[in-house]
Amino acid sequence: MADLATAPTRRFGFALPKLPPAIALALVWVIAMIVIAVFADGIAPHGFTALDLKHRLAAPGEPTHLLGTDELGRDVLSRLVASIRISLLIAFGATLISALIGTTLGFLAAHFRGLVEQVVLMLADFQASMPFLIMALSVLAFFGNSLPLLIGLMGLYGWERYARIARGLAISAGSQGYAGAVRQLGASPSRIYGRHILPNIASTLIVSMTLVFPEVILMESGLSFLGLGVQPPMTSLGNMVGYGRDYLTRAPWIMLSPSATIVLTTLAVSILGDWLRDRLDPTLR
Amino acid sequence: MARWFALRALRGALTVALVVTFAFVVLRMSADPALVILGPEAPPEVIAAFRKSWGLDEPIFVQYLDYVAAIFRGELGRSMRDGRPAIELVAERIPATLALTLPALALKIGIGIPAGVWASLHRGTLVDRAVMSLAVAGFTVPSFVLGLVLVLVFSVKLGWLPSGGQDTWTHAILPIVTMGVGGAAVLARFTRSAMLEVLGQPYMRTASAKGLPWARAIRDHALPNAAIPTVTIVGFMVGTLIAGAVVVESVFSWPGVGRLLVVAVSNRDLAVVQCILLLVAATMVASNFVVDLLYGLLDPRLATGARGAGH
Repeated sequence: MADLATAPTRRFGFALPKLPPAIALALVWVIAMIVIAVFADGIAPHGFTALDLKHRLAAPGEPTHLLGTDELGRDVLSRLVASIRISLLIAFGATLISALIGTTLGFLAAHFRGLVEQVVLMLADFQASMPFLIMALSVLAFFGNSLPLLIGLMGLYGWERYARIARGLAISAGSQGYAGAVRQLGASPSRIYGRHILPNIASTLIVSMTLVFPEVILMESGLSFLGLGVQPPMTSLGNMVGYGRDYLTRAPWIMLSPSATIVLTTLAVSILGDWLRDRLDPTLR
Repeated sequence: MARWFALRALRGALTVALVVTFAFVVLRMSADPALVILGPEAPPEVIAAFRKSWGLDEPIFVQYLDYVAAIFRGELGRSMRDGRPAIELVAERIPATLALTLPALALKIGIGIPAGVWASLHRGTLVDRAVMSLAVAGFTVPSFVLGLVLVLVFSVKLGWLPSGGQDTWTHAILPIVTMGVGGAAVLARFTRSAMLEVLGQPYMRTASAKGLPWARAIRDHALPNAAIPTVTIVGFMVGTLIAGAVVVESVFSWPGVGRLLVVAVSNRDLAVVQCILLLVAATMVASNFVVDLLYGLLDPRLATGARGAGH
């Protein structure tokens, strides 16, 4: 608390050199993951579906297959890189969709109040009270599976949290001078909410996104582990663990490296999220 | 008080209605319900009779009412795989699931709550930090990773415990531990922050100022007040007793409801999926209702409306 009060500025440019070691490590890990995801094709030493039947189930350490190979001789490192790309793509896409849906519904509730607000709050209660995994599995059972559907489905995860936050903040912002002023000037509701209220509550929403993001990674990897998420030949972190399970005794390295990646990534994002929350928005605690 | 109960009951009924509607909408959007419920190999005359008896030629609103009525009669369709009523298939799996989730729940409560309380009373000590680090780890390690690592250590390397199946009680140990650890971590974290919140309240200072022994102040003032947020989390855990084991049952090939759900989803056995969905909704609503009743006991202000309409 004391360091927060004495901190001269919240600008990250100045705060960076003084980061606590855990935060710095987490930041480095997340940046590394993003770099790997973006430059996956350049980083992977082999194609992630390329077979090397002579080197099936090779243990880690070989110069050509640093993390070993799986039951078809596919390079675990290359598959890991491709999996990081897909898993992060889904998590980013889903988090953005969920934030968009939630914030929009929250603003609608704040703007119209009355029946609209009650319906949004009821849907939010409903979403929060049902286990998401069960709902997601039901939808997948009814509609089959594809990557866009999976991203859209995961995009429903956590929307109710943004909706509640956006509604609450928009209601209190609406009664403040600046919103009243632009309204008097004749600005349309979409302009008031999009250009004036949204930037003012963005930090809280961004903190919420960093808290939902790791949960999305866990949910997607859980679904993929069950064989109901990302489908082969595409691969994701949970997917690798799921298929590696069959070779747990003979080749545990197939599932260990994606497992470690899932754990470290969710841990790093959670640590960053907690830290951001403490710095930017103590009210969320 | 009566009004408060009525409102809670209404909210529960509304949730069930939403789930039923959700099931109806996705069922109608995805396929021909006659084929879905009866299976693709049903003879044409059976399908025709089904269409007539379910009123599939009626307007969609009438269909919806018929669908709701059928659910109330317990007609949830037949499994596509062996033609047995879906509700029977699901019901016979429930004991196996409870055999895992009930001991796991006991483990979560038995470890999570004392650890959280202890950490809050010894804030900043090494033990507090250890409990919280474990709690964060328990949250970030997905259950399938923890389960597989436990199998790798205790079944593959050490050979102490079986890795899957349901033959003896030793088969249940690893799945129960896998489920319990994560939940205990979540519960410890929540209990700790609830306790810290309460310990900072003015009435705690008043209690010690008037000479109440600290242990009694904790027991009589802090614990009951910190119990409210904790009960919410426990309530959610109770609500997922039936379906909270989807991933863990799959890891350990445990023949419970969760495993049935995964198999039903990959076979697109819609009647079974729908039945499990409704069962989960019903358990969630029931446990939410009980949690609300407990709130009323723990904090009489909520039930008498002294805090507004309950929220």
